[in-house]
Amino acid sequence: MSDKALPPAVTVALGAVAGVADGVAVLYRGAEGLPVLGSWLRRTRVELQARGERVLAAGIEVILDELDLNTLARQRLDLIGLANEVVDGIDLPAIIRQSTDSVTAEVMTDVRTQGERGDDLVSGFVDRLLGRERDQR
Amino acid sequence: MNAPAARRVAGIVSRGVAAVIDLLFVGVVLGGLYVGLILVRLMLHPSSFSFPTVGVVFSTAVMFGVAVLYLTACWSVSGCTVGAVTMGLRVTGRHGARIAPARALIRAVACVLFPVGLLWVAVDAHRRSVQDIVLGSRVVYVKP
Repeated sequence: MSDKALPPAVTVALGAVAGVADGVAVLYRGAEGLPVLGSWLRRTRVELQARGERVLAAGIEVILDELDLNTLARQRLDLIGLANEVVDGIDLPAIIRQSTDSVTAEVMTDVRTQGERGDDLVSGFVDRLLGRERDQR
Repeated sequence: MNAPAARRVAGIVSRGVAAVIDLLFVGVVLGGLYVGLILVRLMLHPSSFSFPTVGVVFSTAVMFGVAVLYLTACWSVSGCTVGAVTMGLRVTGRHGARIAPARALIRAVACVLFPVGLLWVAVDAHRRSVQDIVLGSRVVYVKP
């Protein structure tokens, strides 16, 4: 992005052109409301719009086909600097810590659940052996 | 806060595994003490250093002391030893509160001197060990 500002004459000219274009658009939209001419104007606008979109899409396709983005990126971008910036932005220790914490918590929960299940299994077996009614401990 | 009263009492498997983990922990502490003893001897008599030999009575007494101290401290402070934390257990009084230091000390001595008392958990209808029955303590599950 260049920091250079455009000359005032150019910006004034661009502003004037944009103002005129807006005015024409408002006038055209108003004309579309006319009884006989309006429907023709609307149809023409829609057709032109569709054609413009087609041309634009084809143009973009041609431009993209012609461009060698890999070469352009290598020539114009500081890929190493960019990669360093991305790597610096990744908090790898935090990611490792987070995943380790979640794995540890999962293992602990699993061990506890297995222990509790084992307790119930032994209790059930002893209760049956002694002919005891099972109660909620 | 009446939740502790509703907590389920832990059975023989969880408590047995927790006891084994605690035993291993005490073993590690004893190992650390032995290494410390070696380093102290090395520091004081570097020229005539030899590995210390500890008698059976001395090692047993130290193990007893370390185990009782460790269990008493854990049960009176939080109700959880390392093994209990691993297995999600807590030692409480009859009404779910933490046990007093004196009761924790007596329970620790009883558990170290008579570990077989834990086996009664499997037979007792309320999953109490002999120590729990005598001292009125409980070992409950602590849900995360």
